[in-house]
Amino acid sequence: MRRVVLALGGTIAGLVMLLSFRTHMGSTAVAGVSGSGGTAGSGGSTSSGSSSAGAAAAAPVSAGSGTGTVLTGDVIMTGYGPTQVQVTVNTGKIVKVTVLQHTDDGVNSQMIDGRALPLLNQETLTAQSAKINAVSGASYTSAGYAKSLQSALDKAQG
Amino acid sequence: MGTVFSFDIPAAAGPVLPEVVSWLHWVDDTFSTYRADSDVSRYGRGELTLAQCAPELAEVIGECAVISELSDGYFTDRPGGRFDPSGLVKGWAIERAAIMLTAAGFTGHCVNGAGDMQCTGEPEPGRPWRVGIAHPLHPSALAAVVAGRDVAIATSGTAERGAHIINPRTGQPATGLASVTVVGPWVATADAYATAAFAMGPIAREWLEHLDGYEALGIAPDGTAWRTSGFGAYTPAD
Repeated sequence: MRRVVLALGGTIAGLVMLLSFRTHMGSTAVAGVSGSGGTAGSGGSTSSGSSSAGAAAAAPVSAGSGTGTVLTGDVIMTGYGPTQVQVTVNTGKIVKVTVLQHTDDGVNSQMIDGRALPLLNQETLTAQSAKINAVSGASYTSAGYAKSLQSALDKAQG
Repeated sequence: MGTVFSFDIPAAAGPVLPEVVSWLHWVDDTFSTYRADSDVSRYGRGELTLAQCAPELAEVIGECAVISELSDGYFTDRPGGRFDPSGLVKGWAIERAAIMLTAAGFTGHCVNGAGDMQCTGEPEPGRPWRVGIAHPLHPSALAAVVAGRDVAIATSGTAERGAHIINPRTGQPATGLASVTVVGPWVATADAYATAAFAMGPIAREWLEHLDGYEALGIAPDGTAWRTSGFGAYTPAD
């Protein structure tokens, strides 16, 4: 168990990868987005035809903008394939998140295509927004995303 | 796979976190239906009596029974006939984790389990917790923002994982709502209410309206939204 320390005003937000804890029957499917850059995570990646905003298979899915230190997380092998996240950190805050590669198991991809990853990125960023502390309804789970993000942020600690 | 828990805590509470995280691992070991040797799995197979299981299981079953009765069976710890209290366990674990932080002497914390959360006190002096509600139909957009102190927010919906909640009356996936968010004092209850409401579909609004202490926002598949009459209490001042 590892902990990320990012100062947000008077509080610390800790992103902690925890446990295999599915709350409902069904898979923890993640959106099928293959990023460019490095090894394309083809694997079991599936992009259904009805993609929502930002789900173009050619481009990495990112949120935010800004300059700073670019930290590339580890490639995490989930049961479905590789996941890799890259963050840009500026004075202790994440200003940009890019999913370099991601694969899913194809289940329910039509429902969550293009939505889950932008939302996870949004969560990561809005957690630092002065306006919102958290987002509810993004109950989509992605251990691969969190682990890779964690590893990228750990590099900022060193 | 796996639920990501996140903690928004005052800096001084950091040393307490490992114990809370360790407890959450214990919850998974004990309650996970994906572990054949968990108490829940063994109890479900009849290998253990309730007295032989962790006492927390009886507590969870008791809470499931209360909400099952309140929801006329739309919330159940036996979906499809198989024992599975997971619909309550996640919220219960989040709630207990928050209580552990408070018992350790801290306020101003938020325990978030994959989008369902228990917020305590204030994140900063004079400011309530502000939580966005993801829009189930528009990626990266928010449907609403709620604010409060000592408040829980739980959302059930199809957007993140497809139709995974079954309507026990029909045996089919519930489809009347795209998402429903329940706001109130405690997240175990809010989460279970949201699950029950989602299973109910079109009749959820009336049921939620008559529940004491909890308010709700529902979004239909066509994007239309409704709120229970007391939901305005959680609307941010700014």
